[in-house]
Amino acid sequence: MARSKRNQIAALLLLITILIPTSLHADDAGLVVSAEASYKISKKWNAGFETEFRSRNNFRTADRVSLGPSLSYKVLPWLKASVSYNLLIDNNREKITYQDDEVSYNNWRPSYWGLRHRFNVSLTASYKIQRVEVSLRERWQYTYRPSKMIDNFDFDEGIWEDHEVRGKGKNVLRSRLQLEWDIPKCKFDPYASVEFHTTRDLEKTRFIVGVNHSIKKKHNFNLYYRYQLSGSSSDEPNIHLLGLGYTFKF
Amino acid sequence: MLAVALCGVMTACVNDDTDFSDIIAEYQVEPESIELDFTALSEAPDVPVTDENDSAYNDYVENTSWNKVMYIDFNGSSATVTGSVGGVAVSTSGAHVVVTNLSGPVKFVVSGATNDGSIKFYGDKRFQLLLNGADITNPHGAAINNQGSKSMYVVLADGTANTLRDGSNYTVVDEEDQKAALFSEGQIIFSGKGQLNVYAIGRGGIRSDDYVRIRPGVNIYVNSTALDGLRANDGIIVDGGVVNVETTGNGAKGVRSGGVMKVNGGRMIAIADGDTRIETDEAGLVDTTACAALYCDTLVTVNAGILKFKATGDGGKGLNAKHNVVINGGKFMSVAMGTNKLKKAKGMKIDGNLAINGGYTYSYSRQSDPLDVAGNTSVAPGYTTYKLSVKVLTISY
Repeated sequence: MARSKRNQIAALLLLITILIPTSLHADDAGLVVSAEASYKISKKWNAGFETEFRSRNNFRTADRVSLGPSLSYKVLPWLKASVSYNLLIDNNREKITYQDDEVSYNNWRPSYWGLRHRFNVSLTASYKIQRVEVSLRERWQYTYRPSKMIDNFDFDEGIWEDHEVRGKGKNVLRSRLQLEWDIPKCKFDPYASVEFHTTRDLEKTRFIVGVNHSIKKKHNFNLYYRYQLSGSSSDEPNIHLLGLGYTFKF
Repeated sequence: MLAVALCGVMTACVNDDTDFSDIIAEYQVEPESIELDFTALSEAPDVPVTDENDSAYNDYVENTSWNKVMYIDFNGSSATVTGSVGGVAVSTSGAHVVVTNLSGPVKFVVSGATNDGSIKFYGDKRFQLLLNGADITNPHGAAINNQGSKSMYVVLADGTANTLRDGSNYTVVDEEDQKAALFSEGQIIFSGKGQLNVYAIGRGGIRSDDYVRIRPGVNIYVNSTALDGLRANDGIIVDGGVVNVETTGNGAKGVRSGGVMKVNGGRMIAIADGDTRIETDEAGLVDTTACAALYCDTLVTVNAGILKFKATGDGGKGLNAKHNVVINGGKFMSVAMGTNKLKKAKGMKIDGNLAINGGYTYSYSRQSDPLDVAGNTSVAPGYTTYKLSVKVLTISY
């Protein structure tokens, strides 16, 4: 029986390793590394602090560093509410615009590092069917980007110009459906989820498969593969991400 | 897993921007320097044309006998005229001298200084104006005004410095033009080995309603804060000499030729610093006129010599040619440093054809095209350098 479970985990990991390279040539790929400290205040309250690093450009370029606290409250045995704040330090991708002929360059805004502030409010409902836990998380996410002056090269004029990236706020509704298997006598808990990011349109969809592994209930490791499909209105490419997470529970 | 995470973080240090460095370097290349240059020029001997059938024969002051001579000497608020020539009437009012020449070729030797004086010539007879250390300022108009339609030979006496200045407000005289500090209805032919400085604040610097010829040996400097620096309606011929022109007026041209411009030698440098001029007519229509260091309505031919033109203001062009341009030799440089808010600041804008057959041609535009030719561009074989980038054109033989 245990051998069968190990085979299931192996199959999952095999799927991850197959999925990434088969699509790499078309889409981008990157890494997500995160570390979290979690403290159980009481039976219902839990506090945490997480930091995360992301890369893009086939793992070669830093994409984002973020950090921030979170607080959750178990409203009911099957319902959890949480709030969190994240300071996002983004390496914003370059932006190139073209003339009307769609060939000649118009402007080039190189990539630049900028700050954003993100606030999340989430409600997560969970339901266990035998050894499978089904959870639905609805998250309202508000992100504010302060204005910033950056350099912009104007190919018409042949000069660098100061360009203001104006400050703006953005609301996103994130809906995630997740299934997690609790395999008896197995230290690895596989899971899969799909998440939709919606503004006025569907901005992105995330498909995730991964495994959680706990050691003595204090150390939790999370390995996952995430495929992020960008909506038609987004400038970002689709991206394959390999995720590595670690949580230390006090 | 920790090792993978660390590797992932440590190796993500590559910038994923498009590499525009080469393109931007092309855009940001600095132009070759163009500045006024008053140093003496080593020139071949200026041999006058002796063939009377040659169209240029009469442009040589040496080909006329100047037996009739008069002297005009300025001394502050007065002018003393000496010498008597039959058929020449001279009147003075303070230091303002009016000469009516019905005699024929007469040589007027001018010297001395005045802050409120002028010389005006009437009569359709060619004459020689020998500037022998003259310094004339006319607050009310042109310092020298030739209303005759024949040649005015402006000879700069060897080793002398001569200065002409106009005023900010010209007194209007009915049915008379006075378009510049040094103005002539007829041809102006510069010769001699002296220096002439012209400062214009009211209208142009030097202007002929006919043509201008500049011969080797002269050293001319024109500074105009109002209109064009050096302008001739029917053409400009540069055989030699040193000419420096700078203008700051909006829409003003450093050198402007309404007729054929032909350069056979010398060194001419013109810098136009003004921006595009905006004018609104009575009907409320807005018209804009850009500056140009060199502006020509008809053919420009460069056979030899050093020509450098630079415009620095908005929309200013190094060269704005309405017809063909032919470069057979010499050094021709044209630079536009300005912005493109109202007009495009192009290095060379040519409405006709451009033919480059020799010499050195250089054009640069900081924010627009180095070369804009409406017609055909032909470059004769045998060049050693031929480079055209987004900012620079360089062709040399």
